[in-house]
Amino acid sequence: MRRVALGQGVRAGAGRRGNLGGLLLLVPGLFFLLLFVYWPLLYNLWLSLHEWNLVRPEAAFVGLANYQALLEDPAFWQTVRQSLLYMALAALGNFLVPLGLALLTLQVKSPWAERYQALLFAPTVAAVSVAALVWLYIYLPAAGPLAKVLGGLGLPAPSLLSDPDYALPAVALVANWKFLGFHYLIALAGLKALPREVLEAARVDGAEGLPFLRHVLLPLLFPTLLFLLLSALASALDYAFVPIDVMTQGGPFGHSTNLMYAVYQEAFRFFRAGVAAAQAVLLTLGLGVLILGQLFLLERRNRG
Amino acid sequence: MAKRLLPHLLLGFSAFLVLLPFAYQVSLSLTPPEALFGSPWPFHHPLTLENYRVVLEKLPMGRYTLNTFLFALGSALGQILLGLLAAYALVFRPPPWTGLFLGLFVLSMLVPFVVTYLPSYLLVARLGLLNTFPGLILPMLTAGYAAFLLRQHFLGFPREILEAAVVDGAGTRDLLFRILVPANLPTLLALFITLFIGAWNQFVWPLLVANRPDMYVLTVAVQRFAGGEGANAWGPLMAASVLATLPTLVLFLAFHRTILQTLMEGGVRG
Repeated sequence: MRRVALGQGVRAGAGRRGNLGGLLLLVPGLFFLLLFVYWPLLYNLWLSLHEWNLVRPEAAFVGLANYQALLEDPAFWQTVRQSLLYMALAALGNFLVPLGLALLTLQVKSPWAERYQALLFAPTVAAVSVAALVWLYIYLPAAGPLAKVLGGLGLPAPSLLSDPDYALPAVALVANWKFLGFHYLIALAGLKALPREVLEAARVDGAEGLPFLRHVLLPLLFPTLLFLLLSALASALDYAFVPIDVMTQGGPFGHSTNLMYAVYQEAFRFFRAGVAAAQAVLLTLGLGVLILGQLFLLERRNRG
Repeated sequence: MAKRLLPHLLLGFSAFLVLLPFAYQVSLSLTPPEALFGSPWPFHHPLTLENYRVVLEKLPMGRYTLNTFLFALGSALGQILLGLLAAYALVFRPPPWTGLFLGLFVLSMLVPFVVTYLPSYLLVARLGLLNTFPGLILPMLTAGYAAFLLRQHFLGFPREILEAAVVDGAGTRDLLFRILVPANLPTLLALFITLFIGAWNQFVWPLLVANRPDMYVLTVAVQRFAGGEGANAWGPLMAASVLATLPTLVLFLAFHRTILQTLMEGGVRG
């Protein structure tokens, strides 16, 4: 008789009793997910259709006016452009560089490989808000180490954070520095999981250099690369949030801001909840399209 | 020979660049104010502990550290517990629509935090939980990552062991806490430390909900110090930042092998 009860409890596709028990165990986790992730998404949708701020403390239904105002605002489009530029920088710093470092690590014998892993991962452990203060010192105009080193080389040292052209890349560098180690580790894991036999066989068949890379290594690595790129791009906007807040507050004149930070500023600096929510909805849609697109790519490849 | 050396050179140089900001951080915290801008290189000055004395005198670092510790501990333990229950249910007692529930956990990892902050803030404020530990911790308990990682590990766990235990009269609590938890201890430890460090480093959420000075966590306290008394006082500021970073760095150094391994396994199987 116990055997039956156990089958219900432990096996997949069990009877009604096991299923309901399993559901009960899921409830606590689902409760917090619904309360602090999925309900906020819906609430944003509701908020975005209302005007609600310090001037008008009662939420008033305004239809799509918040969206219309955003789409007609050049500052919003500047933020969108900068978000895209930032994602390109993140693709470089959190995709190509980690991949390169991971490939190099494979060339290195065991104890050293682990040492490099621990060292390169170290910034992931630091609080980015605290680390950004160190970078403020590094970036100090004239007196900071970067300016001095550049000066010593006879190069001009711009005031990175107050220069509209340099503020965004300067902030991006901090985020890239902080999260490089994580993506490096993912890349390394992906490379190590490659089927050795296939690689060996290809080598025996005389595949080398560029053809080896193109016809053997890249196809095998495709899922890892896609995951890495997805992770680097989707989280890119997020990453820059704290460095922006600590170092530039989006300035000068909004030249280092991105969509994440714009949502936060609307909500918690300018107290325009409706506009912030509309931005949040557009942001969610944009990221959703990006993620679904990549999943679609992966799925199609797996089938093909 | 040159071919063997090149990876070492490149990796070593990368590691040097990556670690340089830490060197500045520590060096500045030990530098007297008059020597701050003497040389662009760290550790180029007479070293002093004066900055640490100043910070410990001016800031209640003990209080901030305790706040941060409680916040990080609550967040990490809560996520682990919720993640354990969810992963166990998803793998060993799959209810109807398991795929949907798994999807909810996985998708939650991709929702950018800033999108949820305004509604979460309004909710926490209406519940009267601003400047309380529940207000800080509860919104952190969205255990998507914990549930997903533990699920990946449970999938590889031999079912027969659990079935044998059930024959011996074990209930869900026994299976979970007497078999699965001990058997997956390294993973749980690595997950705990990862979540603990993640919460320890949280900045924006504590900045929003814990803005009363006695409820500051370290990241917020350091930031407030940087914007006030500590402005341009690089020595004391960096001393405070070293004190804020030290606990997580020690944790990482002590457990880096387990952490890196678990993260890599999660990455591969995911």
